[in-house]
This record gives sequence, C-alpha cells and structure tokens, in this order.
Amino acid sequence: MILARVDGNAVTSIGHPSLIGRTIVLCTPVDGNGASAGAPFAAVDPMGAGIHARVFITTDGSWTQGTVHDDHSPIRNQIIGIID
Amino acid sequence: MKPGKVIGTVTLGVRDPSFSGGRWVVISPMGKDELTVKNGNEVSSAWSLIAYDDLGVGVGDAVLYVEGAEATQPFDRPIPLDAITVALLDTYKFTPPTES
Repeated sequence: MILARVDGNAVTSIGHPSLIGRTIVLCTPVDGNGASAGAPFAAVDPMGAGIHARVFITTDGSWTQGTVHDDHSPIRNQIIGIID
Repeated sequence: MKPGKVIGTVTLGVRDPSFSGGRWVVISPMGKDELTVKNGNEVSSAWSLIAYDDLGVGVGDAVLYVEGAEATQPFDRPIPLDAITVALLDTYKFTPPTES
C-alpha cells in the first residue's frame, strides 16, 4: 500500500489489452507530511482522482487482475481511495 | 508500472526457446526531472534495464513497463522474465506542485 500524490496522467492506445480504455495517472509517493518520497510511478485510476489529490494505492497485482477482469493483466498499481 | 524512455534495442543470437515473438528494448527509467522536460532524450541517472517488448516500441518512445513477477502474467507459459513493456504512451503530463 502506497500513499501518493497524483501529479499527472498518461494516455496510451497501444498497450496490454487490460490497460486500454482505462485512466492512467502518474503518481509520486509522499510521506505523512505530503512531501515527495520517491520516484514517480503509474497507476490505474478507477475513481477519478484530480490533479495533486492524495491517494491510497494498492500494489496487489492479483487484486487488480480481478478488478480489470483479466487473469493475465500485468498491472499492479491501482488507486483504491482518495484521501480527504 | 513505471514510466521509462526507450533508449536502445537488444538482439539475441542465441536465446532461451521460451522467448519467441518478442524483442528486447533498453529502457531508462524516467524520474521527476525526465518527466517534466518534454521532447528531450534525457537519460536518467537511474540504472537502465532490459525489458521484453511485444508492442513494437521504438527508440525515443515513452513507455510504461512492469518489473517483477507481474511481468510474466501476460504469458500462459513459464518464461524467465522480470521486465516487460505494457503501454506505449501517446501523451503524458506530469506537473508536480512547485513546493516539493
């Protein structure tokens, strides 16, 4: 589980089928004070998090395979909550 | 998934028989600095890596890649991989807040 900040998005039309049509955001890990704490990574966003929103991300690939309905999906990172 | 820039390709003369149909690309991980500078061919200070590619990405493309056990998930056979390209990025935007 990662605490992160949404810093951007990415658009793809050529990729693994489980990614096509899904919202992809670029996130930066943050610490408890909101300061950047690591290298950026990409995550699938089923919740519509806005720019600079703080989000909660799971890195559980098998969970994400269930939510994208693809047992062969390589996606690991998925937003599972937006922090108030 | 992590963002990276394709900076080269690898061609194998002899290879494990489980590798068929794909190709290999050299990826430089993109950090905050590389993501915020557009249209550059910057190579980050992070270690570059070799990834399996079946999307057909080319040198200079921005991609998303997956490392670790999930890299083998798209295959229905055992395959000795730990990095694979999963998306060719058409566009991306990265605008971290200025105070960080």
